[in-house]
Amino acid sequence: MQDAEHEETAPSAPTLLISKLSCSLVGKTQTIEITPGSCAHQAYGQKEVTEQFHCNYGLNPQFRDTVDMGQLKITGVDVEGDARIVELANHPFYVATLFLPQISPRAERPHPLIVAYLRAALAYHASQRNAENER
Amino acid sequence: MDKHLKVGIIGDFDPKTFFSHIPTNEALRHAADALSVSVAYTWLPTLSLIGQPIETTLKKFDALWCAPGSPYVSMDGALQAIRFAREMEVPFIAT
Repeated sequence: MQDAEHEETAPSAPTLLISKLSCSLVGKTQTIEITPGSCAHQAYGQKEVTEQFHCNYGLNPQFRDTVDMGQLKITGVDVEGDARIVELANHPFYVATLFLPQISPRAERPHPLIVAYLRAALAYHASQRNAENER
Repeated sequence: MDKHLKVGIIGDFDPKTFFSHIPTNEALRHAADALSVSVAYTWLPTLSLIGQPIETTLKKFDALWCAPGSPYVSMDGALQAIRFAREMEVPFIAT
């Protein structure tokens, strides 16, 4: 996408891929529906989760379909259908969330998305070592 | 078996401005404990990610995390690191 911009830093740019949310999500909690079979679904083990947000910008709904047609898939949406989780297809673990898993009440217990992320890191680490040993 | 992970956190560490920065570190530790591994995280200031081959800086990490903190000091620095994660298939999370 040519000249994709973020409304926070380039508010008058023509292609605002990231734009101001119609309702601020600072300090808010939302329920998110997760796409079955996605990386997020595998991590959480359930299709509906509740997470905490602290942001004012998100994926511009105007570009939702354009983005989803490419490699970046929208795998979590709020009740309005707006993107809350995106993942890259054909990548071992590449997840972006609008919410902050690190601040959820489960901080005392590990967050499943972060556990899944570290599992992927372990696999990556092992594969890198194998590649080195083969040289 | 190697049970130690290195995570690079793309972002300008500033816990006074961003209340989620310290929880990011803690969340990593909690998750690592659950997997019985140790984790060492390194915050990577976004300005430090430009001006030299990014591979040199990032190849030692087993995973990269793009932390909250927009607008970054260097958006280009952040984007370069994110691109590295994408192209080199490094496990990546952005929150």
